[in-house]
Amino acid sequence: MTTPRDELHVLTGSYAVHALEQREREAFERHLQGCDSCEAEVRAFRETAARLAMARSLQPPAGMEQRVLAATYRTRQLPPLLAGERGARWRLGAGRRWARMPGMPGMPGMPRMPRLAVAVAAASVVAALALGSLQVVTQQRLDSARASGVAIARVLGAPDARIETMATSEGGTVTVIVSDQQRGAVVSTSGMTPPPDGRVYQLWVIDASGTRSAGLLPTVGQTGPVLASGVLRGDRIGITVEPSGGTSRPTTTPIVILPA
Amino acid sequence: MQGVNRLNGAQRKPDSDPAEDGRPDLTRLLAQVARGDHRAFEVVYAELAGPVYGVVRQVLRDPAQSEEVAQEALLEVCRTASRFDPAKGSAAAWTLTIAHRRAVDRVRSEVACSRREERAAREMTDGSGDVAEIVVATMDGQRVRRCLGALTELQREAIKLAYYGGYSYPQVAALLGVALGTVKTRIRDGLIRMRDCMEVDS
Repeated sequence: MTTPRDELHVLTGSYAVHALEQREREAFERHLQGCDSCEAEVRAFRETAARLAMARSLQPPAGMEQRVLAATYRTRQLPPLLAGERGARWRLGAGRRWARMPGMPGMPGMPRMPRLAVAVAAASVVAALALGSLQVVTQQRLDSARASGVAIARVLGAPDARIETMATSEGGTVTVIVSDQQRGAVVSTSGMTPPPDGRVYQLWVIDASGTRSAGLLPTVGQTGPVLASGVLRGDRIGITVEPSGGTSRPTTTPIVILPA
Repeated sequence: MQGVNRLNGAQRKPDSDPAEDGRPDLTRLLAQVARGDHRAFEVVYAELAGPVYGVVRQVLRDPAQSEEVAQEALLEVCRTASRFDPAKGSAAAWTLTIAHRRAVDRVRSEVACSRREERAAREMTDGSGDVAEIVVATMDGQRVRRCLGALTELQREAIKLAYYGGYSYPQVAALLGVALGTVKTRIRDGLIRMRDCMEVDS
């Protein structure tokens, strides 16, 4: 960009309300790093813009809160920036558009693209190709997620959905979202140690009549949500380590038991 | 925190204790969120989900897409809470910047959103078709209207198209039939007048 400095300064307003197109935004961000008065002005304009947003406050749809809260339990948070890493606070980067939201219904994860790739993709031909392949990936994810995704979304979106989270004895946490109306529980885990070779994590529903399997947890690390159906208030959800393929009854001490 | 207190509407003493005026201290809450406190995030959600959804909806219009983007923005607030720096602005401004930016990103990448994908997202986002749309009336709303009313028509239109419409300033210039340079300056002048009118601290 060849925009002179004084013209750049005038862009504080457009920058604060996100009215710059990519190239000019990047040029302005470079300018911003050495321009304290611009930074102060942008900061003030953001407060002003926030007031414009507050003035249009709307009651969010029912169920949105549960979906957001459920997603926060599955999402690892960023560590703080340490001294020397500072400077990128307000500019969260071009990668954000592609930021991945693991497993939240209605927001299919998109592949994360490096900043450079995003910049290159601005060229229209490249963009068309990139977006085309993104659509394919997204569609595949949607297709595979849709069958179980709809049932899971119903539980997560149920007005009576409630959340329990508990640490397991194998590290990590298990989160269960239960809806009596939907008679289901959505179980997800995060940060658990992988089971030993030849072993799997198996999910159980424990009710007055006994214990039944609700399936195997697919992978370790961060597992996608698993639906346990027929769960009622007062039941409990347990996870045990079992031989590959699972068993019909638990054979080991549960690594976690949560109330449903 | 001054900005936050005012953001929530009524006239308050700049250094009023949050506990005193009954509004949660969002700066402190975001620090707790950064440490993994989900209860703190629930309070942040209760305070800011309305404006977040409202502004996203204002830009995107489509309820299903708006819900999706609002969810992403709120999740980003939780995920990046450790990066919030109160020295650089209020928690509300930080959050609403994220939300507005995401909405604008969605508009600009619209080509990526095939009809098919939208439909699928709609199916998966339960209950978004029958949104009960209750505009939350606030003191802020009145003051914003009054301050917008005090701008020149060009300033007002430029700000509304850019912020509420999610248009880039070259698009705003085309819509208003004025020169690019004029729009850049009008957006800035208008924001300065809005800022002074609403007594926002810099």
